[in-house]
Amino acid sequence: MPTEIIMPKVDMDMATGRIAAWHVEEGASVAKGDPIFDIETDKAAMEVEAPADGTLHHPVPEGTDVPIGAPVGWLYAEGEAVRAPPTEETPTQEVPANAPDGETETETPTAQPSAPSTETLAEQDKPRATPKARKLARDAGIDLATLDGTGPRGRIQAADVAVLEEEPGKLAAPAGFEQEAGPLSVIRSKGGTGTPVVLIHGFANEAAAWSPIEAHLSERPLIRIELPCHGKSPKRRLAGFADLVSDVRRASDDLDLQSAHLVGHSLGGAVALAIADTRASRVDSLTLIAPAGLGPDINGTLLDGIGRATRAESLGPWLRQLVADDSVITDRYVRAAMMARKDPALRAAQKAMADTLFPDGTQAFDLRPALGRIAMPARIIWGKRDAIIDWRHALAAPGPVALHLFDGLGHMPHMEAPDAIGQCIAATL
Amino acid sequence: MPDSTVAADRNVPYAIRAYAPERLIDALRKMYLIRRFEEGAEDSYTRGLIHGTMHLSIGQEASAVGACMALTDDDKITSTHRGHGHCVAKGADLGKMFAEFFGKETGYCRGRGGSMHIADVEKGNLGANGIVGGGIPIAVGAALSAKRLGTGAVTVCFFGDGANNEGAFHEALNMASIWKLPVIFVCENNRYGMSTSTERSTAVKSIADRAAAYSMPGERVDGNDFSAVTEAVDAAVARARNGEGPSLIENVTYRWRGHSKSDRNRYRTKEEIAQWQERDPIARMAAMLKEHGITDDEGIAALEKDVEQAVEEAIAFAKDSPVPRIEDATRDVHTPKVAA
Amino acid sequence: MNAQAGIDVREISYAQAIREAMDIALAEDDRVILMGEDIGVYGGAFQVTGDLVDKYGTDRVMDTPISELGGAGVAVGAALTGLRPIFEFQFSDFATLAMEQIVNQAAKVRYMLGGAVSVPVVMRFPAGSGTGAAAQHSQSLEAWLGHVPGLKVVQPATPEDAKGLLLAALDDPDPVMIFEHKLLYKMKGQVPSGRYTTPIGKAAVRREGSHLTIVATAIMVHKALEAAKALEDEGIEAEVIDLRTIRPLDRDTVLASVRKTGKLLCVYEAVKTLGIGAEVSAMVAESDAFDFLDAPIVRLGGAESPIPYNPELEKAVVPQVPDIIEAARGLAEGRV
Repeated sequence: MPTEIIMPKVDMDMATGRIAAWHVEEGASVAKGDPIFDIETDKAAMEVEAPADGTLHHPVPEGTDVPIGAPVGWLYAEGEAVRAPPTEETPTQEVPANAPDGETETETPTAQPSAPSTETLAEQDKPRATPKARKLARDAGIDLATLDGTGPRGRIQAADVAVLEEEPGKLAAPAGFEQEAGPLSVIRSKGGTGTPVVLIHGFANEAAAWSPIEAHLSERPLIRIELPCHGKSPKRRLAGFADLVSDVRRASDDLDLQSAHLVGHSLGGAVALAIADTRASRVDSLTLIAPAGLGPDINGTLLDGIGRATRAESLGPWLRQLVADDSVITDRYVRAAMMARKDPALRAAQKAMADTLFPDGTQAFDLRPALGRIAMPARIIWGKRDAIIDWRHALAAPGPVALHLFDGLGHMPHMEAPDAIGQCIAATL
Repeated sequence: MPDSTVAADRNVPYAIRAYAPERLIDALRKMYLIRRFEEGAEDSYTRGLIHGTMHLSIGQEASAVGACMALTDDDKITSTHRGHGHCVAKGADLGKMFAEFFGKETGYCRGRGGSMHIADVEKGNLGANGIVGGGIPIAVGAALSAKRLGTGAVTVCFFGDGANNEGAFHEALNMASIWKLPVIFVCENNRYGMSTSTERSTAVKSIADRAAAYSMPGERVDGNDFSAVTEAVDAAVARARNGEGPSLIENVTYRWRGHSKSDRNRYRTKEEIAQWQERDPIARMAAMLKEHGITDDEGIAALEKDVEQAVEEAIAFAKDSPVPRIEDATRDVHTPKVAA
Repeated sequence: MNAQAGIDVREISYAQAIREAMDIALAEDDRVILMGEDIGVYGGAFQVTGDLVDKYGTDRVMDTPISELGGAGVAVGAALTGLRPIFEFQFSDFATLAMEQIVNQAAKVRYMLGGAVSVPVVMRFPAGSGTGAAAQHSQSLEAWLGHVPGLKVVQPATPEDAKGLLLAALDDPDPVMIFEHKLLYKMKGQVPSGRYTTPIGKAAVRREGSHLTIVATAIMVHKALEAAKALEDEGIEAEVIDLRTIRPLDRDTVLASVRKTGKLLCVYEAVKTLGIGAEVSAMVAESDAFDFLDAPIVRLGGAESPIPYNPELEKAVVPQVPDIIEAARGLAEGRV
């Protein structure tokens, strides 16, 4: 058996490493301990030593990104027949081109006849990309090999190139986004009279999440504000929570309302509270649904999971954690949610936002003092089975703030029990 | 159309009685033209001037010319892969025929059809056909048009003995009969469908007998006897023009040459061919015209010379003609749109 | 649709729309005749000719014997010599009996004669599955004829197009083959009265969308539209193109749509292999629209099987709405 040369983990938070250069050519001999290749990570470049004596075969080409632990080449002992490398383990993040149906070869190297391995490797090294992605890359002068594909079998799709085009400086970044200017997106209902209700959705959620309870509120004009980096709002790199609040406050100021009922969910709840704190005279009432900002902890794993998901199959399990009864999250709902998140630039922008607002599973802002200052009627609605923010944060509320705590609901009460929550809000408008 | 229907001496052949001398001489000339045309084509083929193959009707000239005697340019014919004779009989221009053979833009089909698809629509020849039996339903359609549009035209549908075993033959004859259409089915029975004799391929002794199945007159004649052919076909044409419906006529004849240029003549004997050559329709026609004082040896010699010259001129025209432009290869697939 | 259309628009069936087109043609042009099996007093196997025989007589609405080859040939011959025949096949499957006349004669006569003639014949083919008529009466053979230069092949999907394309076919100097899906005959739709034509060779965008292009033919247009409607709730906007003519193909409409959406799904009832989907896919792959493809092309066609009798099996071998939804969703979500 040849000795596998693997991509070693040389840095704490490293998931892949890039072969910067080979010190020996294919077919050349090395002694154990000789420098054999250089790797490059975001933070460092490093020399890797040969794990055994032998002749180098099937080296992964220079410039390739390889996951930690994956083989980057094989050392064959003297006299050992050179065979095709095993294909079960993928040398790069892409599935080899000779497994077009997603089925990979499971035969061991010894079971395979001697094969023209250089050809197969050459095949495998070709990036899998759609014609549109190829054209975009060609036109922009981008080497496809530097891209990570988010499509099936790692296929590079147009969006993967579009991301790069926007941020040519960070070629190897998995995804990026371009800062966009302009006001936040605001969606107004038709009809309704009296004091409007302004709705602010949560992080990685969307304005459409309000639809289920809107029937109960529709006597009044309804105004949804989309958070930055969400929906049709511009993508921005936020310096911190205050930056986010000032964005939303500007949007709400621009509405030029004499008064409004503010309703916010999760991160939107925190924003609503911050606005109520600074625009007290124009806020008639405040409703916070599972709001952020009332305690230090937040489920960072879940946030990451949602942020990373590139397709419905990986998004669904995380979304189901948001609710108590996961039958609420139908396949169709998941697919719609994924469609809304299919723009990699949007996901990248949200990831940056999460890193700023919720670093290391911590809420980097504290609104408990604000909750103590406000004077308008306020209520907090929470599901006791919330898996992302602990409902007990509600207990920090001072006496005048009403608490509506629901046993069988999770982080999305307004979606899980729209009638109960809708009536609860409407009763006091 | 026959020039006279006056019944004179019954011993005088029908053609002599029915047609004026100049028509008969013209008929003889056409028979010579067909023969010389085909000999010229064969010679050109040998010299490598002709692409593909050809099916020669040498020996069958009386059938082609005789069957067209009663037709005008308004009347239609449909022809077969062995169709040069029908084409000449219907009045085609030899130069355009040779040009088609040579694949030239001046040919009848502008070099797109070749020997097997020569047509001369202006003279009523709807075209030779590469499919055995392919022209038979088309002839019935042409007859339907004539009846529906009231043109008074008839259609002569030529086909060979091979076609009488095709389904299209039976379907077409049946329809022509039920709708009483002005069509004359002329079977040129030259005894072989490629190599298979009618005895081996056809259940009836006489193809004309098949007319009974479609309730139309059927007549078998000596297809190498010009007068016999005209007599039978003219009667059928008259019937058709009269609204009495279709007829089937079987002209028993013989092709001297092989089926096509690839034929090695393994299915028949030299003696058989020689026997039929003794019944040369052109020699018999010439003899008949001489016997009845319509022409003489001198006249025939002049006619032959004239025909040879016409063929030479036609070949020269074809040789000198331009070839189609490559970029026009797909030009005639669809009818060009005319501005409304 | 051209400008001569009547102002009056009514809801009539696909079969009525075809009959209306034939009625108009018979009334305005003495050269037009109808030919076919049992199209006279019987009214046609699918009641498309209906009572036209009462109005125009048996000389112009001609019952033919059961002679598809001969009948088609008579129509070709009549078209060559001045008539404008509309030949109805009782079932498109019977085209197999008449292929000689359709393929060797109708399609080629003009070309073989160097453009000296035209063959203005119209042939109508009731096609497709769904009636329980099993393997020999349910086929979709349009691609067979679509393979033949010299023919034009159309597949109207709506009553309006059924009428407009038939009148356009009659105006066309060359042979036009019309494939009519049998399940559409009873479908109703808005149809202008009077004479109008639907252009041959022009597809229709039945629904605009940005996430993927569905190119469909005949009854599949309706299934694709139903699927697109369902996908709308998921945020997927499918553009649905009704090809209408499969020869000549409307390149511009299809390519423009694919350039826009980057994704192509072809849906047709005929057997998938070597069908219209293959041609549309190849057309896209060969064109500059290739550079705009952002996913593999997907084809949904009939199974590699004759059409079975059992109703559930019969449904199973041709694309249905859930199949289209699933395929479109996979494409739109980048899972293909």
